[in-house]
Formats: sequence, structure tokens, C-alpha cells
Amino acid sequence: MISNMLRFPLSMFDDEMDRWFFPEAFAAGSARLRAGYPPINIGTTDKGVEVYLFAPGMDPKALDLVIEKNLLSVEGERKLPELEGDNNSVRQERFEGRFKRVITLPEDVDPDSAEASYKDGVLHIRIAKKPEAQKRQIQVSVN
Amino acid sequence: MNDVNKEVATREEQAPARQEAAEVVTLRPATDIVESKDGVTLYIDMPGVSKDSLSVDVDQNVLSVKGAINLHTPEGLSPTYMDVHSGTFERHFTLGEQLDSSAIEAHLEQGVLKLSIPRSEKHKPRKIEVKVA
Repeated sequence: MISNMLRFPLSMFDDEMDRWFFPEAFAAGSARLRAGYPPINIGTTDKGVEVYLFAPGMDPKALDLVIEKNLLSVEGERKLPELEGDNNSVRQERFEGRFKRVITLPEDVDPDSAEASYKDGVLHIRIAKKPEAQKRQIQVSVN
Repeated sequence: MNDVNKEVATREEQAPARQEAAEVVTLRPATDIVESKDGVTLYIDMPGVSKDSLSVDVDQNVLSVKGAINLHTPEGLSPTYMDVHSGTFERHFTLGEQLDSSAIEAHLEQGVLKLSIPRSEKHKPRKIEVKVA
């Protein structure tokens, strides 16, 4: 830190200036992702549950997905590129390190049906409801 | 003060983000900035953004990055839990005049946008030979 300030005194200063003069940028001015990492969105349809984890820049093979009873857990580690030579980090905001998130699934899902895909840095997990729990249309017969 | 380094680092432009916050709340993507003798590299996390929904442009010395999240959700999906409440990432950076904004290289891979902005030639550090008479 000290050496950074000595070598790049003003770029560090700029960062502080932002904090002093534009405090809203560090508060609620624009929405920021501040929940546990990775952020998650979950939705349901008649057929099942859709889970989206926002975990960019991952090797999908390094993600550990487990469903036990009705708990889905996602575990992994995010490594950021190392600084080369005399490169100097001016700002670091991106998450780095190990993470784990556990999601409670509805009781009526079928764990064997789970499918996962990774695209544009989003891990999408789809778990179908058990056939007997899926909504059915019942025909009314007229005598 | 060391004037040489004054504007090398990218600094954020706050005004545009504030204006648009009134219309639609955008997400401020987490960004890492690395500085080297050749220039500056930005790593911007934009999960769910594909090449087609990403725009990177420079107006005067303001670099703007914007991207729409596309999750390909199935029909009839009703949200039950959401950490991500907006569908758009947006952020602005002011480029120092030592950077060559006409030579920005952009790569998008699995939701991480990497922007390499070189220093203009005349601002690259040079080694000066000392001649012994």
C-alpha cells in the first residue's frame, strides 16, 4: 500500500477524491451487487425451479453443485489473474476467493432431474417438479 | 507533485450515471484496474451480458460501458428470490489524456469484459542512454 502511494501518488488520491466528493456512488446512488457472492436469482414455473448464479469468469468444471434432500449448494473458488512484473493494481472491487451458497428448494422437486449450464458467466440450474406435483388441466366431461 | 502520473489512471465519471438513475436503475459492475508502463487494463464483471448486448464507446475522454443481462428465462417464470434487481450494467470512466482512446481493445469472456487501453506513444516511459564523453 505504502509503495503504491509512493509510486502512484495521484491515482490513489483520485480514488479518495471520488469517495469524498461523490459519496452516493459508494452508497445507494446506483444499485450495486452487495449480497453474498455469487448473487442469485430464483424463479418458479409450473414445471419447476430455475436458479441463476451470477459468477462470471469461472471454469464451470471448478464449480461444485450438490443437491441433498431439498438443499442445493454451490461451492467454488474464484481466482483473479495475478499481477505481472511491475504492474500495479489501482482498484480492486471484484470478488476473489472461496464462496458457497445454499438454496432451499421446494419439497416437491425431483433432484434427479437437475440440469446445469454455464453461459456468459451465469450458472443456470433447472430442477423439475415431481410429475405428480405439476399442474394438470382436468377435462370436465358432460353427460 | 508528480505531474506525469496525474491522469494516467482512469477515474470515474459520476454525472451521467446519476442522470440516468432517475429513469432506470442500472447496476454498477465491479471493476478491477491494473496499470502498467504500456497502459491500463480494466476487468469488468458483467455476468449475463453477451457480445450482442454490450456496448463500449468513447465520447471525448469518457469511456462508457453498458450491457443488458439476458438470462433466457422460460415463459411463465415468476421470481421468488432476487439479488439482481436490474437488467442493465452501466459504468463510465474518465480517461487521462496520456491514454490512446483510439486503440482500445475489448474482449468479453464468460461475463468478464477486459479492456486494454494503451498509453499513447509519446507518453510511454523511455530509457535514456547516458553517453560517456
